[in-house]
Amino acid sequence: MTLFTSMLSFALITLLGVLGTFLLTGLTGLFSFGQASFMALGAYISGLAVIKFNVPFPLAIIIGVASGTLCALIIGIPTLRLNRDFFSLITFGFGEAVAGLLNYFVNVTGGAMGLSGIPPKTNLLMVALSTGAVIWMVNNFRRLKFGRQCLALKNDELAAAAVGIDVYRIKLQVFIISAIITSYAGALYGFLTSYVEPAMFGWTKSAEWVIMVFFGGVNSLTGAVVAGFLLNILPEVLRFASEWRIAAYCLIIVVLLNFRPTGLFDEYELSFRRKH
Amino acid sequence: MQQVINGISVGAVYALIAVGFALVYNILKFSNFSHGGVMTVSAYFGYFLASTFHLSLLVTLALTALFGGLCAVIIELVAFRRIRNSNGPLIYYFVSSITVGMLLENIITIFKGSTFYAYPGLASNTVVRMGSITIPVMNMLMLVISGMMLLVLMWVIMKTSFGIAVRAASFDVNTSKLMGMNTSQIISLVFFVSGFLGGISGVFLGISYTLYPQIGQMVVKGWIASVLGGLGSLEGAVLGAFILGMVEVYLVSTVGAGLSSVFIFILTLVFLMFRPQGIAGNVVRDKA
Amino acid sequence: MRKIVSLMLLLVLALGLAGCGGNQNANQGKSNNTPAQTGGVAGDYILIGSLQDISSSTAAWGKGVVNGAQMAIDKINSEGGVLGKKLKLVNYDTKNDVNEAINAYNRLVNQDKVVTVMGPPTSNIGIALAPITEQKKVPIFGDFMDERATTKNDGTPWKYMFLGEPSCSQQAEISASYTVDKLQLKKIAILYNQANAYAVSHVIPFTRYVEGHGGQIVAKEIFQNTDKDLKAQLTKIKNANPDAIYVPNYLQENALVLNQAKQLGINIPIIGNNSYFYPLIDLIDKSITDVYFLNNVTFDDQEVKKFLGEYKSKFNEDAPLHAFFGYDNILVIAEAIKKAGKVDPEAVRSALENIKDVKGYTGNISIDPATHRPLGLSMWIMKIDKGKYVSLEKYLPPAQK
Repeated sequence: MTLFTSMLSFALITLLGVLGTFLLTGLTGLFSFGQASFMALGAYISGLAVIKFNVPFPLAIIIGVASGTLCALIIGIPTLRLNRDFFSLITFGFGEAVAGLLNYFVNVTGGAMGLSGIPPKTNLLMVALSTGAVIWMVNNFRRLKFGRQCLALKNDELAAAAVGIDVYRIKLQVFIISAIITSYAGALYGFLTSYVEPAMFGWTKSAEWVIMVFFGGVNSLTGAVVAGFLLNILPEVLRFASEWRIAAYCLIIVVLLNFRPTGLFDEYELSFRRKH
Repeated sequence: MQQVINGISVGAVYALIAVGFALVYNILKFSNFSHGGVMTVSAYFGYFLASTFHLSLLVTLALTALFGGLCAVIIELVAFRRIRNSNGPLIYYFVSSITVGMLLENIITIFKGSTFYAYPGLASNTVVRMGSITIPVMNMLMLVISGMMLLVLMWVIMKTSFGIAVRAASFDVNTSKLMGMNTSQIISLVFFVSGFLGGISGVFLGISYTLYPQIGQMVVKGWIASVLGGLGSLEGAVLGAFILGMVEVYLVSTVGAGLSSVFIFILTLVFLMFRPQGIAGNVVRDKA
Repeated sequence: MRKIVSLMLLLVLALGLAGCGGNQNANQGKSNNTPAQTGGVAGDYILIGSLQDISSSTAAWGKGVVNGAQMAIDKINSEGGVLGKKLKLVNYDTKNDVNEAINAYNRLVNQDKVVTVMGPPTSNIGIALAPITEQKKVPIFGDFMDERATTKNDGTPWKYMFLGEPSCSQQAEISASYTVDKLQLKKIAILYNQANAYAVSHVIPFTRYVEGHGGQIVAKEIFQNTDKDLKAQLTKIKNANPDAIYVPNYLQENALVLNQAKQLGINIPIIGNNSYFYPLIDLIDKSITDVYFLNNVTFDDQEVKKFLGEYKSKFNEDAPLHAFFGYDNILVIAEAIKKAGKVDPEAVRSALENIKDVKGYTGNISIDPATHRPLGLSMWIMKIDKGKYVSLEKYLPPAQK
């Protein structure tokens, strides 16, 4: 891998995570602290399936994604009826629990020392195609009735319920889809670096993704894509600024949130059909 | 028995953080993660005072608390004031506060992160022994201070005109503004009090756990306590903090710390199924 | 849709170009001449890469390594440099993050064209980089103690990975042997951070040695990154009534354990690893005694005392142990370049494999070609005694002699 391909692959995989977050936070306003843990699940479970049980690669990815989906159901069903902060709290707890489990079963997962020796099966092309497909899918979601219902419930849950939208059901669906995208991203990631460790998927990573979504504009898919991409490449480009780059990056975001709270792209979409 | 004391002392640490956290939640209805940043900066500021001027614990605490209050007011001005004026949704505050927290932590890492520091000679290790039981003085102090702060705050909120204004604002910021209240001033004051508590927590955390840039990440414990405690209810936050501390210590002493995070996750899930309004039972409507 | 994709591709291109441009500017800022084509040489300088965390949770160590390395480079340059050229360190921040480190390594190789990379003192990054070095063929010499960073599962070494200090299991065995064989303490409790790879990879070989040599682990208590109050774990350990407690975590966590054990009135010996050096002594209660730990250097060495003094006057802080690692890493790398006779990663790699007797602060470093780890590097046992470090002896367990 050259610097260019490795940078690009990592950026695209993070972009997948950001897209999952965009669906969840951008469409329903929910804030998940455990989003990165779905990535951990995808990476670990599919990686372990190949290492320990010699499962073929495509099947391993499906297993990884399925386990992410299952966990989303377990978290979503009891909490999505409650206040949004409880959802954030539970997803945080979920993240801690996943990290705890990965650290605890040292013999299976390698514990804090990480899981190494995952065969490198993904490449830039595969990551790029997946990202393209997911962008296409998310874009379609938003255009469908489903997406419009989401926007309605994000803006006013009570009103949305009053006009007959099943708020709970929609939230659950969105949460599951975002979990699927994120755990898929995780599976790709594991087979790209061939090494994963629990510390990669902490709650700060989930928070970073949400920040990226807001940077681009919480109502704009184009914004999320550009921001997810830009903010991943930016630190690498700014490398000569070394230790100051994270601080600079945070500062830009605080300024942006205050002076242009709708993000860089507001509701702008790069498309012919939806012009505002 | 020692484990009960351990649980209470952990709870005392969390409670102090949780009250500062809950105050802001109470008014603006969002989880203010910049509180962690305030604690970090204050912890280092307190260290600077204590090591340069050799101040006593009480003076250090008082000055740092003022400093923390000031920090929080500035953060409110910089990071939240404009969002509030443009009537932005809650999640904007939330994201802004997390970013500010990260920013402060990073600035400290850049300037002070090349080594670790400990508060000089502030009796951090003094304990009271009763038979086989050990009670750390620092934790006792934290307990007393968070208890006192809570009582003072309750009195202020229930009995003074400022308190009435706070309660009104907490009920509905926009309406109280329409009624002619200077909500900006009240919110600044609330942030000051929250930062004041953050400053105190910062010093205590620094004394008990040494200084390191990530010290403010303890804020998540305060967050858990205050959300579980009943979404910004002050009594609930304190109660939540002690329950959290006790449960953590209990889990460590039974199943061990390895799986305690898993048990805490399951317990929270079950708890919320039976009591979806949190411990104190405040019902807060999402106004998104 | 097509537009989104094309926009993305455009962005990629633009940023890629910006990346190259920005980097060239950075290089020009550092050296007077534009980077030359030959590997590792930019103008009159030989470039040595470095991957250290300077802005995240392990920044205290990363900065120590960089400072120590810079001291070595200044010294070598003042004596005329290597192969007639001066050395220059190009350090990139890893944020203690594997992704960042991989990107930074690729950048050091592709753009700065460094001849060798000084690795971080954290194993996770070493393990993740090992397979990548096989493709990029630029050696990494560093202090990632976990064996998996230097040898593959089948025991053969990663061709381009080299360790500069005794590995985790060597160090853990020294601690275990000193406890069981020398101090004759048999009932041992362990308290460690389960989320910390450094701690976990000490605990496994330590347990194996103790149990194989007549000792017994009576309690194994763990904690997580966010746990700062460890009295619950310590109370449990106290009730198990051990002869000693093994505490192999990062420095700041060790300080917490020592202080809180003191608070609970636990007065048995505590056995540590090589993360008890400065500034730990300033973080703990002055009445704490009976703490035995490993160290790569000793104060009995006048040179070490001199280094500590120089470091303090230069950076206004006590040198962490990692400063010595940084210094010695550069000595070894410089020696390898000298031996290779040319500034070429492949030649330097072969030279690194056969390094013999480089006199560093941490001992005479010779690399074992079979494992890519140092050969027979002994460690010092030090003791903390009421606010002071005391050097006890150089110790090797009977099995490692």
